[in-house]
Amino acid sequence: MRVKPWAPVLLAVVFVVVRAPLFAHHGSASYDINKLMTLKGTVTDFQFMNPHSEIFINANDSAGKSQEWVVEGLGVSTMSRVGWTKNILKAGDQVTITGNPARNGSHAMRLKKIVLPSGKELALQSAEDYAGQ
Amino acid sequence: MRSRPAALALAVLAVLAVSHGILAQTVGSQGAAKASVTDLTGVWRRSRRPPDNARRYTVFELAYSLTVDEPPMTPWAEEKFNAARPSIGPHEVPLSKSNDPVSKCFPPGVPRIYLQRGLPMEIMQIPGRVVMLFEYDHFVRQIFTDGRQHVQDMPPSWMGDSIGKWEGNTLVVDTTGFNDKTWLDLVGHPHTDALHLVERLRRVSHDTMTIDISIDDPKAYTRPWVSHSVYELKPEWTIGEVICEDDAGFTCMEKMLEPGK
Repeated sequence: MRVKPWAPVLLAVVFVVVRAPLFAHHGSASYDINKLMTLKGTVTDFQFMNPHSEIFINANDSAGKSQEWVVEGLGVSTMSRVGWTKNILKAGDQVTITGNPARNGSHAMRLKKIVLPSGKELALQSAEDYAGQ
Repeated sequence: MRSRPAALALAVLAVLAVSHGILAQTVGSQGAAKASVTDLTGVWRRSRRPPDNARRYTVFELAYSLTVDEPPMTPWAEEKFNAARPSIGPHEVPLSKSNDPVSKCFPPGVPRIYLQRGLPMEIMQIPGRVVMLFEYDHFVRQIFTDGRQHVQDMPPSWMGDSIGKWEGNTLVVDTTGFNDKTWLDLVGHPHTDALHLVERLRRVSHDTMTIDISIDDPKAYTRPWVSHSVYELKPEWTIGEVICEDDAGFTCMEKMLEPGK
């Protein structure tokens, strides 16, 4: 994963966990599936990978301050079956993302739908696609 | 043989039996577009359709377990089930505290492989074998249809020893020879090395296959019980790569998502 000049909290996350011996696949219970939120922002990085693809975006909060967010999707096979490719997003793209927020209030979301710069929408159905992953 | 009519009848029956087998193979090799009922070829994905409209079903019931209702566990099995610490599902624990063998990338076994991550499988039929290739970690099941019996002189295995035969338009698969190191499903129902599965696979339409699995394990379950699944054909899909060890290296979200931050 390319290391970017993240905010201090995310930088600490990378250094602390990159050598952790834990097996790290977390269940979907980390996200509140009863809540939906939408972010409009600028893509800073897109990792199309297993087990979870990750979209990193900068989005303004309600006070207009830019915040870094990470939006988590699914693995490569599953996402490719609903139209995703490794080239579908690049740094600088303006996107609108709807998803389930992290339960612990951190700047993380589980992807449900994205509107690409072209206006095209790509969606992941909730229970159907995430169950068991 | 002394009785000529009996010998003739026997010969006719033998010819019919052989040609039925050949017919099934030949018709099956024409591909999904002209699929016969004895051709299970294709990429299939387990449907999350609820069994009925009686009520709403949780995704855990539809995707994490083999049946909606609890299976008929013995006291031994109940104790094992209560000690299971799955990393996903309604009773999930953090991954580092899970005792799920799959969380350490051990094989899921059968029938759990069918549930693993909601991922598809591909069925390929070749002479003497039906081969199932699972997208999850590329596990393979070989179902021998060449008339052999179960192996008697090999140690137990993770995925069992499968033999199959066609009964009309149903492939009946008999599997024994399991070790006891796997869970039956994603939430931790146990089994012993006496587990005996009988699966019935039937292509009910071009796009739909049903798999009924009878689970028999007297030390774990008080009677045999059956899991019904429906599979949907996915003709545009190809089996991709999902590697369990990629989970192991995926630590970058763990800290960010831990509860109570």
